[in-house]
Amino acid sequence: MLPFEFLFEYLPLVLNGLILTVEVTLFGIFVGLALGIVLAIGDMHGGKVVSTLIRFYVEFFRGTPIIVQLFMFQYVIPGMLHLPTNTYVTAFSVFALNSGAYQKGYVKGAMEAVFEDQMMAGLSIGMSKVQTIFYVVLPQALRIVIPAWSNEFCSLTKSTAALAIIGLLDLTGAGWQIMGIKYRVLETWVFVAIIYLIWITIVAKIADTVYERKKIPGIEISA
Amino acid sequence: MLGGVTTTLAISIFSLLLGLAIGLPLAFIRTYEKSLGFFVDVFEKVFRGIPELVLMLLFFFGVGMYFRFPFKIALFTAVFVLGLRSAANQSQIFRGAIRGIGEEQMVAARSLGLSRFRSIVHVMIPQVFIFSTPGLGSEYALLVKDSSYAFVIGVLDIMFTTDMIRKATFDFVAPYIAAAFLYILLTFPIATWFDTWGSRRKKTLGL
Amino acid sequence: MMECRHLWKTYEKHLIAVKDVSLQIKEGEIKLIFGPSGSGKSTFLRCMAMLTIPEKGDVFLREECLTKPGVNLNVARARIGFVFQHIYLFRHLTALGNVELALRRVLKLSKEEARERASGALREVKMEEWAHHYPAQLSGGQQQRVGIARALARNPDIILLDEPTSALDPELIGEVIDTLRDLAKKGTTMLIVSHEMPFAREVAEEMIFYDEGTIVETGPPEQFFTNPQSERAKKFMTRLIMKTKRE
Repeated sequence: MLPFEFLFEYLPLVLNGLILTVEVTLFGIFVGLALGIVLAIGDMHGGKVVSTLIRFYVEFFRGTPIIVQLFMFQYVIPGMLHLPTNTYVTAFSVFALNSGAYQKGYVKGAMEAVFEDQMMAGLSIGMSKVQTIFYVVLPQALRIVIPAWSNEFCSLTKSTAALAIIGLLDLTGAGWQIMGIKYRVLETWVFVAIIYLIWITIVAKIADTVYERKKIPGIEISA
Repeated sequence: MLGGVTTTLAISIFSLLLGLAIGLPLAFIRTYEKSLGFFVDVFEKVFRGIPELVLMLLFFFGVGMYFRFPFKIALFTAVFVLGLRSAANQSQIFRGAIRGIGEEQMVAARSLGLSRFRSIVHVMIPQVFIFSTPGLGSEYALLVKDSSYAFVIGVLDIMFTTDMIRKATFDFVAPYIAAAFLYILLTFPIATWFDTWGSRRKKTLGL
Repeated sequence: MMECRHLWKTYEKHLIAVKDVSLQIKEGEIKLIFGPSGSGKSTFLRCMAMLTIPEKGDVFLREECLTKPGVNLNVARARIGFVFQHIYLFRHLTALGNVELALRRVLKLSKEEARERASGALREVKMEEWAHHYPAQLSGGQQQRVGIARALARNPDIILLDEPTSALDPELIGEVIDTLRDLAKKGTTMLIVSHEMPFAREVAEEMIFYDEGTIVETGPPEQFFTNPQSERAKKFMTRLIMKTKRE
């Protein structure tokens, strides 16, 4: 009898947990990317006030643990403003905002690497600043960002385990539930761990393929 | 609350040191002894790919069932898990630094007659450190933040004490805001200082 | 065609790159600016192209003043072609893409029109075989030729070239010079900053010696090669000739 057979009756629970984990991760990473781009541009061209606001935002989300951020959005802010709480809203918004803070750093770094020269070149052919950012600077910056972005993807996935702490039934939450019911604790957690590993390996493979397809021929970017 | 701060700091620092003790040799083994590379890769994949919280739960509840000592000691398990995770991260950081320094330094050292071990210790390691400061600074910050997972297995860190206060006062707001401030205070100054120290060192050595 | 009057540009309060410079260039003329490095020639050229905005003074393109407030600089810049010392091709686009970009996004041409004109421009600089290569796959000289095509594609009124060959390996300079010579034959108005003396002698109608932020001396090329009028020009030319003799 396989050590994991007992888990098969809980497969639906685990699968639903995995789906939630994947949903939050994908939402977080892509909304985070959009946010990161907006914030990077805002920081570079927005003026002092905008830059300072962005700085506080980034410092908060990069300086505190994800658990604190989840509690902030689940208890503190609703507590202060007397809003109703919704665990799902908290989950999705926190991870999007968190990822956005990190991705802003990567995007800004990548943009600054190409900005000066390429902006001059763009202006010299008669494009406006906005056009140059959109058609020249961003396409190059986003390619440079890919290795850091795939790192962020993995990081984000691991952080989603914290969702179990605010009571959501993600993959970790499923494991926690099973642990409470069955005696076979070690097997449960090893099983959960393996699923995470498989998911992360798939993600890394996808990121590598994206990198191969999208890279600028002739230029190798070291991760 | 302040008791929690000491615990959080303790976890972070011990994990960093454990990670250093294991990660540094791993980085060199991976670079200079290709035959063992496979094992290092597996180690890295496992400890960088599985969420820290899951690992803590796995060792505390799972392994802890069979090995009451030492895994049922929450503090030990926390440092154990984070230390190994940090080792995996630091191995990557140091490998990058070794690659950045380049072959020449090792070659020069060997040409003077130094053994492989001596060359590494006296020539490579000092330079690797100076190159790695940004990575190490952010790894330290990461450890401070990830130490918060430990409160789930019962460690009396910042999160745990914050929760205790919340349960006692029914105040959902102030304790968490305070906790947030504490974490920011613990992460930023030291990480930045580490970074500046590194850049200054690099400048004086002309790197 | 183009004129600037009393141009000034300073950096960081001490470095005056452009000190009260006035210059005129008529349609079809080819003028070459040369002088010691760091004298501000590049900055001056960029001010003419309005890529760097001068602090004081005016720039005119075909009688139209570009330094007035409220002028649409993008439209103006589209009528000026600029070639950079370090080329600055768009790395994420092919050679063809580089040339097409302005045609599609600035002149708003259709895909087919843009492609045709871009291919034509690449043909002029003899790069049509490499149309689908990316900049990183091309040599320096090839990249610069694409840069010239990119500047030409919009049929600008004038082309400004900032040391187009200075960043290239010696073997690669020839192909770029040949391209420029072709352009000169076609009657393109060009204002060039360069050290390529033989080329200058052959192609330029007027040479301008620029040192420490100002125009020290102007005149036909022969004047500089046989009998420079100013002391500084004399010194510069002697050093240059001794250097070429040694090479």
